[in-house]
Amino acid sequence: MDFVIEGIDYTSVIQKALVLLSCVALSWKMIIYMCNLLNIEQDPIRVLITGAAGNIGYAIAPMIARGMMLGPDQPMILHLLDIEPTSRSLEALKMELQDSAFPLLKGVIATTNVVEACKDVNIAIMIGGYPRMAGMERKDVMSKNVVIYKAQASALENYASEDCKVLVVANPANTNALILKEFAPSIPEENITCLTRLDHNRALAQLADKLSVPVSSVKNVIVWGNHSSTQYPDSNHVTVSTQAGDRPIKELVTDQNWLKNEFIAEVQQRGAAVLRARRQSSALSAASAACDHIRDWFLGTPKGTWVSMGVCSDGSYGIPPGLVYSFPVICEKGSWKIVQGLSIDEFSREKMDDSARELAEEKDLAYSCLNA
Amino acid sequence: MAKEPVRVLVTGAAGQIGYALVPMIARGIMLGADQPVILHMLDIPPAAEALNGVKMELIDAAFPLLKGVVATTDAVEGCTGVNVAVMVGGFPRKEGMERKDVMSKNVSIYKSQAAALEKHAAPNCKVLVVANPANTNALILKEFAPSIPEKNITCLTRLDHNRALGQVSERLSVPVSDVKNVIIWGNHSSTQYPDVNHATVKTSSGEKPVRELVKNDEWLNGEFISTVQQRGAAIIKARKLSSALSAASSACDHIRDWVVGTPEGTFVSMGVYSDGSYNVPSGLIYSFPVTCRNGEWTIVQGLPIDEVSRKKMDLTAEELKEEKDLKQQKMIHTEYKILPSDEPVAVEAAAGGCWEDPEGAPADPAGAESGDGAETAVGDGAGLDPGPGCCGYG
Repeated sequence: MDFVIEGIDYTSVIQKALVLLSCVALSWKMIIYMCNLLNIEQDPIRVLITGAAGNIGYAIAPMIARGMMLGPDQPMILHLLDIEPTSRSLEALKMELQDSAFPLLKGVIATTNVVEACKDVNIAIMIGGYPRMAGMERKDVMSKNVVIYKAQASALENYASEDCKVLVVANPANTNALILKEFAPSIPEENITCLTRLDHNRALAQLADKLSVPVSSVKNVIVWGNHSSTQYPDSNHVTVSTQAGDRPIKELVTDQNWLKNEFIAEVQQRGAAVLRARRQSSALSAASAACDHIRDWFLGTPKGTWVSMGVCSDGSYGIPPGLVYSFPVICEKGSWKIVQGLSIDEFSREKMDDSARELAEEKDLAYSCLNA
Repeated sequence: MAKEPVRVLVTGAAGQIGYALVPMIARGIMLGADQPVILHMLDIPPAAEALNGVKMELIDAAFPLLKGVVATTDAVEGCTGVNVAVMVGGFPRKEGMERKDVMSKNVSIYKSQAAALEKHAAPNCKVLVVANPANTNALILKEFAPSIPEKNITCLTRLDHNRALGQVSERLSVPVSDVKNVIIWGNHSSTQYPDVNHATVKTSSGEKPVRELVKNDEWLNGEFISTVQQRGAAIIKARKLSSALSAASSACDHIRDWVVGTPEGTFVSMGVYSDGSYNVPSGLIYSFPVTCRNGEWTIVQGLPIDEVSRKKMDLTAEELKEEKDLKQQKMIHTEYKILPSDEPVAVEAAAGGCWEDPEGAPADPAGAESGDGAETAVGDGAGLDPGPGCCGYG
């Protein structure tokens, strides 16, 4: 219907105006896009490492500084925290980081002051904790760590940036993360996780070795539960990329017995095996797995691939809510989501429940230490 | 289409520099994010278990670029087919040892390494010597592997170069990536000469000379130089161990720039075989400013050298000549016995080193400076780790 008033063809005018507006909008979009291409540098992200003067800290700091955690274009400022007796080593780490002339590293704060360390951090990697020494009971380790993690919780809550993403590495990882969560209630619980990516990577490597394929061809193993000897490395949904496309592992590994026994034991006990060979606990592989955990969380998991992360249970797969439990997750836009609908057989069910039970016991133990 | 994997050898791989270096290589820091690698890790028999532990961890890290790991105490297996060799293994200087003692141990090590590389490495293998005395170890390697092109044998001064960049950037409070073209001349020792005369800083009004911005020649000619020269010792004092992280990172930078090329307008420092440029005696391995292209380095020519620089450059050349003479002496005192397999074996004087001499026990297989490690579980806050194997970079 024509819209003509007093001889002026308003339809035509409106049409022309609309065309003009679309052109302007498109041009604007193109200008913005080209500006972004001019590589205007992103603001640095602040990454906190606690226990930074130790071996894992020494391994992870250069990995982060080289962009292995946040991507090759993301500058960062490192906050290194450790206890007073290590302050010289901490200072030496800062010196070595300066000496490496890393282009992405825009600053280093090396401190024994927890407030200074936590201020405005966007990512917190909690490596610091009380290690288990010969002769110590589990209760003793637990009681020392709950005190540490309670204090850390307040510091993070009060001083870290609002959306700070937390990864707990120090053992007992799941329970330390739980303590952190309970004593930092204003940190969204989805931002508190613990590391099981090391077990996940170990599992992939064992499967790749069994099949004599590159580890990058194997994906979607799951590590369920506690980062301890009750962890359950589940190969039921693993796929292997072959010339004939992605095949389920059951087609390629005929020895079901191996998958249900040796494979699981190998992965569960790998930490001890490395400790025996090196006479030190894993640092290189733990640091690398921590980078993978954060990178995938931050930048997203590849399509069709999931990874294992220790996260706050929402009751999925019959796991009691309120525990920090390792699940299969995909990540997108800075958030993780538990992969739903995977079939769980009886064998798996039992193992998953075992690990959940152990976590519930650890939780009770932790609380009894706190209230003691 | 995926590239063919490149074989990278790391000697002394069970030590702390090796431990820092191998994950960097496996993540593509050394050769690029799309270059698959196969790691060859070599160390001495007393370190075999620890070496295997490192192999286990590399496997556990599920690195997509890492297509294989060879962990061995056999030099032949270690060197077979390698395209890049990073020589971190060597006999470290212990308290009470004289320079000539360190020298004689390292002569025998680098002689046998030279033989293994020459026979078994891939043609055009690029060699980077890290273990101290780096320049002279590289020279020994060169002399005993005559069929390796001399341009393929280099030593690491990139750590000093990066340290110098770091010091300037701290002084000026600018990002280190804005500073470039410092030069490290000479020996990787306390006679090295960190030269800022051609260094520039990126500013909003273009690139400006460092001297102009620092406005403090006294500092640049004094404290700056001694800080860079003595940085290694400062790290040892603070860590009770020599630099590993920064040494490993610089080794990656050295190889990467060599293989991939230096950015336009930028030069870096590498210890290379002197051709007489800048009146530095030829026949020494001396650190020069170089640019890299198509896998080859070229000394930057034509830089004006002032009197102060001349003196310092000559001083460090002097020291290298002395080291070379000392090395010659140590070599003369070693006898050879040719075995049926045609492998010459040093049987005297230089015996007791880490690599050969089946009749003697290695002086200290645990190598390096010691520190305590009280690690029993993930999460320790204060572990110090010497690691077995020989590594003596400072």
